[in-house]
Amino acid sequence: MAVRIRLRRMGAKKKPFYRVIVADSRSPRDGRFIEEIGYYNPISEPEEVKINSEKAISWLKKGAQPSDTVKYLLKKSGIYDLYLKNS
Amino acid sequence: MIENNYDFNNKSSEVDEITEINILYDFYGGLLSKRQADVIELYYEDNLSLGEIAEQLNISRQAVYDTLKRGVKLLKGYEEILKLVNKYGQEKQIYKSILLLINTLEVQLASNIGAKEDYINILEDIKVKIEEIIDI
Repeated sequence: MAVRIRLRRMGAKKKPFYRVIVADSRSPRDGRFIEEIGYYNPISEPEEVKINSEKAISWLKKGAQPSDTVKYLLKKSGIYDLYLKNS
Repeated sequence: MIENNYDFNNKSSEVDEITEINILYDFYGGLLSKRQADVIELYYEDNLSLGEIAEQLNISRQAVYDTLKRGVKLLKGYEEILKLVNKYGQEKQIYKSILLLINTLEVQLASNIGAKEDYINILEDIKVKIEEIIDI
């Protein structure tokens, strides 16, 4: 099973808000996901990213592939460096 | 539990693009073809890669790429002509400042701070703000 870490849009129209989720790559649209490990709110001032680093690193270690966007957010928040140091 | 907080001071183009397209899609998505809408949703709302979308829709990666580019170009083109997102943003700012003025007035009236002229001044400010909205 290929596991991905990616964003999923939530939030009302004109107010995007994203969850950072861990999901099976084969069922991207059925709404199911394995775990929610954070969120990204681009509309708040200042915009806000919150990712549980323990969970993120644990999933990365298990081989979960982050989307480019999530990888970017992980790098920005320093979690990706932490993962590289720990592996 | 370790939580990492990060305030983005300088916005990133990469994530910004996602939000920008999502908002454009909220306004103009209805004007796209079914296929264009599907691809945009999978890419920008579900954050799937081109390869994953190709697999989902049973089309080539190149077809996904072309459809996505075309869809985004259309959305940006609609905004260029109609400017609904831009107007929405401007109006939102002004409505917020009107709310602030109303709150100030409310507090002043409730606590009897300020003179009649002060209240009238705030009401004048609100009128100016409303004029601004009308002029957008």
